[in-house]
Amino acid sequence: MILHGVSFDARPGHLTAIVGPNGSGKTTLMRAITAETPFDGHVAMNGTDIASAKPWQLAAIRAVLPQATPLAFPFTVIEVVRLGLGSGISAARGHLAQQALARVGLQGYEGRMYQDLSGGEQQRAQLARVLAQVWEPVLDGQPRWLLLDEPVSSLDIGHQLIVMQIARDFADAGGGVVAVMHDLNLTAMFADRVALLAEGRMVAQGTPAGVLTDANLSCAYRCRVRVNTPPDAGTWLVPHAASV
Amino acid sequence: MRALAFLLLTALPCAAQDRIVSLGGSVSEIVAALGAEDRLIARDSTTLFPESLTALPDVGYVRALSPEGVLSVGPDMILAEDGAGPVEAVEALQQAGIPFVSIPEDPSPQGVLAKIRAVGEALDIDAEPLAAQVAAGFDRAATARADVTEPKKVLFILSAQGGRLMVGGEHTAAGAIIELAGGINAATGFDGYKPMTDEAILTAAPDVILMMDRGGDHGAANEVLFAQAALGASPAAKTDAVVRMDGLLLLGFGPRTPDAAIQLHDAIYGG
Amino acid sequence: MVAIAGCIPGDRSDRARRLFFWLLAGLAAVAVLSVGTGASGVSVMDAAQGWLAGNLDPRDELVLMSIRLPRLALGMLIGAALAVSGAVMQGLFRNPLADPGVVGVGAGASLGAVFAIVLGGMLPAWVGQHTVSFMAFAGAGGSTLLLYRVATRSGRTSVATMLLAGIALGALAAAMVGVMTYMADDRQLRDLTFWGMGSLAGASWAKVGAAIPLILPAILLSPLLARGLNGLALGEAAAGHMGLPVQRIKLLAILAVAAATGASVAVSGGIGFIGIVVPHLLRLGSGPDHRWLLPNAAVLGAVLLCLADIVARMIVAPAELPIGIVTAILGAPVFLWILLSRKGVGAL
Repeated sequence: MILHGVSFDARPGHLTAIVGPNGSGKTTLMRAITAETPFDGHVAMNGTDIASAKPWQLAAIRAVLPQATPLAFPFTVIEVVRLGLGSGISAARGHLAQQALARVGLQGYEGRMYQDLSGGEQQRAQLARVLAQVWEPVLDGQPRWLLLDEPVSSLDIGHQLIVMQIARDFADAGGGVVAVMHDLNLTAMFADRVALLAEGRMVAQGTPAGVLTDANLSCAYRCRVRVNTPPDAGTWLVPHAASV
Repeated sequence: MRALAFLLLTALPCAAQDRIVSLGGSVSEIVAALGAEDRLIARDSTTLFPESLTALPDVGYVRALSPEGVLSVGPDMILAEDGAGPVEAVEALQQAGIPFVSIPEDPSPQGVLAKIRAVGEALDIDAEPLAAQVAAGFDRAATARADVTEPKKVLFILSAQGGRLMVGGEHTAAGAIIELAGGINAATGFDGYKPMTDEAILTAAPDVILMMDRGGDHGAANEVLFAQAALGASPAAKTDAVVRMDGLLLLGFGPRTPDAAIQLHDAIYGG
Repeated sequence: MVAIAGCIPGDRSDRARRLFFWLLAGLAAVAVLSVGTGASGVSVMDAAQGWLAGNLDPRDELVLMSIRLPRLALGMLIGAALAVSGAVMQGLFRNPLADPGVVGVGAGASLGAVFAIVLGGMLPAWVGQHTVSFMAFAGAGGSTLLLYRVATRSGRTSVATMLLAGIALGALAAAMVGVMTYMADDRQLRDLTFWGMGSLAGASWAKVGAAIPLILPAILLSPLLARGLNGLALGEAAAGHMGLPVQRIKLLAILAVAAATGASVAVSGGIGFIGIVVPHLLRLGSGPDHRWLLPNAAVLGAVLLCLADIVARMIVAPAELPIGIVTAILGAPVFLWILLSRKGVGAL
């Protein structure tokens, strides 16, 4: 998908969700932010132009959770998480890998072979690796970033909530989170800001209440959606069966 | 072993080497023909005649020698046909202070005589009687050759594996012995032992098929051989002219080569 | 609460570290065995006594200093080079079955060697008696550079393209080897066959000296690739996200493999199985972490090749078997047995 004239910003302390239908350019936007694909334009992170930054400079301020991560060799879970720690694994930092595993609900899984885990467990182990890379949301006064590409796609609802809460906590502690999301209800529950893409263009950007409206969503997803905002339950969405 | 060598050296003041490793089938054959078989202590894997030599320890293929393997038999001289190797192994053997004599190789009467003289010189044996005897043999072969009025075309088949014929072209020992026997090598236009196509065999029209006399496909029966369309149509098939000879005798280019040439001549022309 | 790294379950780095020292001890034992074993029956004890007494027999000294020691040194260098090259290639291609042949090193080297054996007489005199080694190395280096060029677009190397181009180049090289085989005479044919089976019989200090500048830096620098190869296990994108200079790692890995394998093949011909079996055994034993896998592979490769060499030169003494035959005959059944005794498909 090619993006046209997309201006996007995310702030530290916020969980910013990128939503939109399949093929709308969410992943392309994410790849631009992670400097994975070349592009015309400008992406800055903490004031640094990512196109000219070295990989290790970027790795110090942001970590990326891809949609799926195949693993080539039989590593144990703890070994996978430690890959996120990079060089210089001291005893204390080694301990960090275990904390990260506990954080995603995988305590006791250290000695298991990664390839023997279920899809959801593998995704959480990868999240632990990513968390270990940027364990402190703010380091030396600089915010750090979690860039998550569909972090809850293969998880059950309980683990979806756990993972979104981890992202929420990271943002609340001063770090920045950008997440590509499919589930609009979870987006409405956890995001501070939402960017809605369709066909390579930015449809709307702002607070969940401002972006996730009947009109915007119906236009972007080409189907009728009703947004409910009962006073005691936050926002939740009901799609209509009939298409527009 | 040092003590033993010392005793032998004092016992033989002429210092003639008598712990010799011979590398190369024809070189070993010449050593035996010069009556120095008892001075050999080891051989290479191509040394198969006289058969008594096969009882000696085998130091491997002449082009893939192990220096320590050769040293372990305790030689005081190494006689090798041209091209023994690898280079590093030969260097190590020379470093050990063991005379390493390289014998030139050329499939021709002059080449055989030169080989005999070179081996004789290395062994400190007068090789002239043997050389004269072999030269006389070559003369007899030449006389036999001179009587040939209608030379026959001879095709040497190295192997007939799976119906594919591997034949001896130009610059081969097979071609040389055919000519010594007064024949014409039917396979021309290429060097070495190569597979030959049916049509080329048809065109070559050999009068006689020459093969090595040993098991397997090398010794394919005449009817199997002539079942092949190209060979079946050849003049050789009509007269059932197939000559089989011992491979070493035929292609070895040693002291027995005049005999081989005469035997082959007789087989071709019904001497 | 401070945890010691080794106490964390699933952390195999302690085991890998202990294994390294056990392997080093094994290498020392094999070295003594190798120096003390040979067709001529000179033993280490005899030689040491002779040396201390100052009356070491000159022939024994030659056997030890000019035949067995360079052979041991060359065996260690080549065993380490083949095993490390295999581990690096497998890490780079994320595939436990990759070997240096994948990037055309083997094909290029054999093409060069075959050319030298068959057309040796036509080459300039200065390459002299080491033509085959020289041409094998030139072939290995040339084909690797060619494949790297083919697979690199705008500064990014596609390992998939490299794999495909390697297969194409391999087919071309095999065909050229066929042409050379057709042109070869009897003796050259036997040379070709023996070259393809590999041998350490031509070991000399000159060969060790020629191999060291290429093999030793590749082995000693390979641990610098360890983090990169670990990261690549998660895929190229993830490795980049973790801050690894992926393109630089690929280039360095390919250069190291070309140098180490090219030099090995050049001095000893084709020796198979070490590059596949050694990294696989070590991954089973102490995990795939390349920080330990690479140094352990170097030592285990050296141990196994030196053991194979002892077998190669003793079993038909005073002749010897080509070592490539020994590594395959001993290596293949062991490998099959490991595959059979592993349950599940995640074993690789």
